[in-house]
Amino acid sequence: MFRYVLKRFSQSLVTLFIVVTVVFMLMRLLPLEGYFGDGYDKLSEEQKVAALDRMGLLDPWYVQLGNFYVKLSRGDLGTSIIYRRDVPVTEVIAPRIPYSMYFGIFATLLALIAGLSLGVFMARKKGRGLDKAGTAYIVLINAVPSAVYLLFIQLYGTSLFNLPILFDKYRVKSWILPAISLSLGGIAGYAMWIRRYMVDELNKDYIKLARAKGLPEKLIMVRHVMRNAFVPMAQYLPAAILSTISGSIYIESLYSIPGMGGLLVDVIQRQDNPMVQALVLIFSSVGIIGLFLGDILMAIFDPRIKLVKGEGSR
Amino acid sequence: MKRSFSFCLAAVLLLAAMVAGAAPKSEDYYAVYAGELTTLNYLVVAAENEHSVIANIIDGLVEYDKYGVLVPSLATDWKNSPDGKTWTFTLRKGVKWVDNKGKDYAEVVAQDWVDAAKYIFNKKNASLTAKIAYDVIKNAKAYFDGTLTDFSQVGVKALDKYTVQYTLEKPVPYFLSMLTYVCFLPVNGQFLEKTGTRFGTDNKNVLYNGAYILDTFEPQVGRTLVRNDKYWDKDHVFIRRLSYKYNKEASTLGPELFLRGEISSVAVPSSLIDTWMKDPAKKAIVRPAETSSYTYFYTFNFNPNFEAQYEPDNWKEAVNNKSFRKSLFHALDRRAAMITAEPYAPERRLQNTITPRNFVNASGKDFVDMGDLSKYSKTDSFSKSLAVEFKAKAVAELAGKAKFPVKIMMPYNAGATDWTNRVQVVEQQLENLLGTDYIDVIPVSFPATGFLGATRRKGNYAMQECNWGPDYADPETYTDPFITGSNYNWPEKAVGYAQANGKTVYENMVDAAKAETVNIAKRYELFAKAEAYFIGEAFVIPYAIGGGGFTASKLEPFSYPFAPFGMSYLKFKGQTVMQKPLSTEAYNKMKATWDGEREEALKKSKY
Amino acid sequence: MSDSLFEFADFDENASERIGYSDYSYWRSTVKVFLKNKIAVILLVVLSILLIFTFIQPLIPGQNSPTKIHIDPATSVQMRNRLPDSTFWFGTNSIGQDLWARIWSGTRTSLLIGLIVGFFEMLVGITYGALWGYVRKLDRVMTEVYNVLNNIPTTIILLLMAYILRPGFKTMIIAMCITGWLGLARFVRNQIVIIRDREYNLASRCLGTPAGRVIGRNLLPYLVSVIMLQTALSIPGTIGWEVFLTYIGLGLPVSIPSLGNLVNEGRLIMMSPELRYQLIFPTIVLSIITISFYVLGNAFADASDPRNHV
Repeated sequence: MFRYVLKRFSQSLVTLFIVVTVVFMLMRLLPLEGYFGDGYDKLSEEQKVAALDRMGLLDPWYVQLGNFYVKLSRGDLGTSIIYRRDVPVTEVIAPRIPYSMYFGIFATLLALIAGLSLGVFMARKKGRGLDKAGTAYIVLINAVPSAVYLLFIQLYGTSLFNLPILFDKYRVKSWILPAISLSLGGIAGYAMWIRRYMVDELNKDYIKLARAKGLPEKLIMVRHVMRNAFVPMAQYLPAAILSTISGSIYIESLYSIPGMGGLLVDVIQRQDNPMVQALVLIFSSVGIIGLFLGDILMAIFDPRIKLVKGEGSR
Repeated sequence: MKRSFSFCLAAVLLLAAMVAGAAPKSEDYYAVYAGELTTLNYLVVAAENEHSVIANIIDGLVEYDKYGVLVPSLATDWKNSPDGKTWTFTLRKGVKWVDNKGKDYAEVVAQDWVDAAKYIFNKKNASLTAKIAYDVIKNAKAYFDGTLTDFSQVGVKALDKYTVQYTLEKPVPYFLSMLTYVCFLPVNGQFLEKTGTRFGTDNKNVLYNGAYILDTFEPQVGRTLVRNDKYWDKDHVFIRRLSYKYNKEASTLGPELFLRGEISSVAVPSSLIDTWMKDPAKKAIVRPAETSSYTYFYTFNFNPNFEAQYEPDNWKEAVNNKSFRKSLFHALDRRAAMITAEPYAPERRLQNTITPRNFVNASGKDFVDMGDLSKYSKTDSFSKSLAVEFKAKAVAELAGKAKFPVKIMMPYNAGATDWTNRVQVVEQQLENLLGTDYIDVIPVSFPATGFLGATRRKGNYAMQECNWGPDYADPETYTDPFITGSNYNWPEKAVGYAQANGKTVYENMVDAAKAETVNIAKRYELFAKAEAYFIGEAFVIPYAIGGGGFTASKLEPFSYPFAPFGMSYLKFKGQTVMQKPLSTEAYNKMKATWDGEREEALKKSKY
Repeated sequence: MSDSLFEFADFDENASERIGYSDYSYWRSTVKVFLKNKIAVILLVVLSILLIFTFIQPLIPGQNSPTKIHIDPATSVQMRNRLPDSTFWFGTNSIGQDLWARIWSGTRTSLLIGLIVGFFEMLVGITYGALWGYVRKLDRVMTEVYNVLNNIPTTIILLLMAYILRPGFKTMIIAMCITGWLGLARFVRNQIVIIRDREYNLASRCLGTPAGRVIGRNLLPYLVSVIMLQTALSIPGTIGWEVFLTYIGLGLPVSIPSLGNLVNEGRLIMMSPELRYQLIFPTIVLSIITISFYVLGNAFADASDPRNHV
């Protein structure tokens, strides 16, 4: 197992290298005038050259790439060139991560607890009132685009419950609505999938046997069904928790939460290359680790899954 | 003794009470904003997000008053040499640089302007406003390019502690107006050197000499500006605190926040204005917003460089025919097009000239009322009969030379919803009026990324909506897009306008106007003549002016510095936040009064 | 115990031959179980009507073009923001275009995008995911490719595609196809990893069954229900993604109506009560499509599980 972990780790480094290089080159395919904004027409050629030079964009791409990696090896993620001129990237990103993470982890936990419970109850009482109500909720959340219902919730929720519209880190009341809104989609997702997996499990032969043996329904549910149904879900958990640092674009822009959501899209559109590269590095690492941990978690939960070659497995 | 003392005391108290009562009381100002600034380094930036803060924290040599007259700011007096090339300014004494806590750092001295110029003209700093300054200051461009290494040859000098002298390449009549812009602001050289590349990265890394200090600054969260108690003109700063909160959805949520009393002013988006005007309670708090001097026009491309499927050669043939251009000139229903952006009062934003009204003024006469230009400024170009008349002429004149229908490739920015809507309106309107046997307008969508580079700058269009903003207070700035070397529509390539010296009629007229640097009224008249010619030959279709729309605001209008360009209008000096927002009727009354007072002030002004 | 309690059983040669026959057909039973679910059937009918109508709507006489701007002949002004009435069944939008025509045109566009992208996703995603999950030798390379493609922000790819190919219908489809299949691939891969070493698969391998057959006959049918659910949801998912892209400015230009930009346009004027119809109509159509696909997906997933076949 240890060798497997080591192998995956070294693989991840290679992946990161490839991803960052590809992104690096893709960003340089974007037009040069994108670095200047509206006043481009008022600049002279010399000014344009001077500005591009300052941003380090005049060297050939491999020189630029080399410089980036040299700086990276010293722990320097670069300096923003447009988003916040001359400020080191870490200084721009660091204060924003906690906001997204706290909201994200809270919402994920809430979604897990509420969603899984809902899904389990729906599976148990399949076809009856709770199942239908739960299905209606899930369907609505999926059907109505989130951009619409989130705005709706913000406007009507705040006036109904007398909550502030915009997030303020010193007013706890302003934290409630964004956190709950963030979890709504997750609740629907987890409920839907755990219900599906449980229904599949309940149909299996060994459950019929357990019932025939006379085991109480509750025991069957908890000991057998839930445990097995949970396996396919486990793989998504680490990724879900880790990806909270990327934040939700909609919610953060609606409530003015100074998190990471929308940051990547923003810096890509404004062509702030150092920020894009640093963010891609961070998010890729998180994504790769998430995928890896998910596999490990899945193997832990279900001993029949062998990640490493064992007896009889191919 | 005692009686006279108490009498004095009473008099002093009475006086103080009168003064305190006379100074307007103002609430604090609250707002939300969606565009965060990227840096406070005012020596390099050129965008409004940054200017909205910079205008309030740094003062320059001169400033505009609320009538648009240039008045002393950090310079108390100035004189111009007889040849017009040397300007000498006497500084106000005792003005202090303070840090973000309000503590004194140093005095503002003449050397500060030299240090600022040295920074701006240093290519390595990549200042985006360098060109505006080095185009006029002696030897500055050479220094920027690197051909001159001795900065003492550049035309910015500190003659003594309180005297700044600028030497120009050639006489520039509008030089004073340029001094209100960022590239002519002072900076404390020591502080600049100490902070190095961190200058302006947050509110601690910049010094203040203006009306406000940036007390807190959290990017993407918000900022607060508080009144600078050490400000030299403190008595004219009435709002004590400006508090801004960042929100990406500011345009959607703003109106709701205003109704809940959480912010002091908001621009009512054009999508909501109909609803608000129907509700009497909301209608009472809405008033028109000022227009800006940003100008919009439709250009005809004389240097077509687009795909063969849009028939560039055919277009080139057609566009060189004056009747063809005039048929389009009179066929465009600009009001219908404007409704896509400004549904409620579109006429306010339409203009018939390239240079806007209220931009410059000579001996009491506005630029657009001078000479031939006045007949254009008063007439709406849209006329169905004239359009059809010119169409008939064009068809006759172009018979055998151009193929009808003429394809008109019209690019638009797919990322801008109202532009996408407008191009559909324009297409259908033009084709309905002139007939699809005559023209075939083809809108072509381009992404927002590199839009202008892919379309206008490459000549990849036949007819396109373009815009331009002024760089200084002189009509010359509105000729910059149309002279040789620019990349708007290449009118110098139009057939049949070349004169003996190889230049076109228009360009010769512009050169003649530029040469007149002494008699300002004459200078403006020559520019007006050139612009009237340009419009008369239908090289462009003047369309609209920026700004406008409606606002619900508790800010008292007409109390901020009125300027034809630049960032002066962003200053909060002189403004007050009233208890209640103004209605349209009250606003119109105030505007009438202000218009009258402005005329008087302009007549009396020396500059 | 008397003999009368017993009866002689006859030996019938023919009867003993009949044991091995069963008239069970997988798909027939699936359909039978599916049809028993009344709600699913109703929604299937509704969806079919909707789909058929979407495509025949332009052929009905008297329909307006979705891009034509209607001018009021009396005032020469565009007929903006008209409430639904007898001429414009769904009203008009902010520049005077017929919302009824735009919604059906938009639904056509979005459905086409959804179907094409969904089909492509299914084809590539399932194949890739199955191979990735089953063939251990390929695990390394395929994980590599997945990780690289997954971590390149889709925003960059979309931005570049829009810049190079210019915004439009084809660009949208290409961009979504390139980036969309990853989710399904990973999902299938994970499912396969879970069951690849179960005893029945070990048995198949022992017997020498080639990998393709193991995947095709052992693994995939087991996964039919979850795969069905996933693909059924990919169509509304694509439409939802389109809404998001329009929100960040990378969607179709509004000159090509689609459910994505109709919803986005409506969202911007949500604050005006009398203009809300511009948001409500596209949202209802979008909701009907999503709800139908969801319920149908679930119902089909339930029906295709052999253990539900009677």
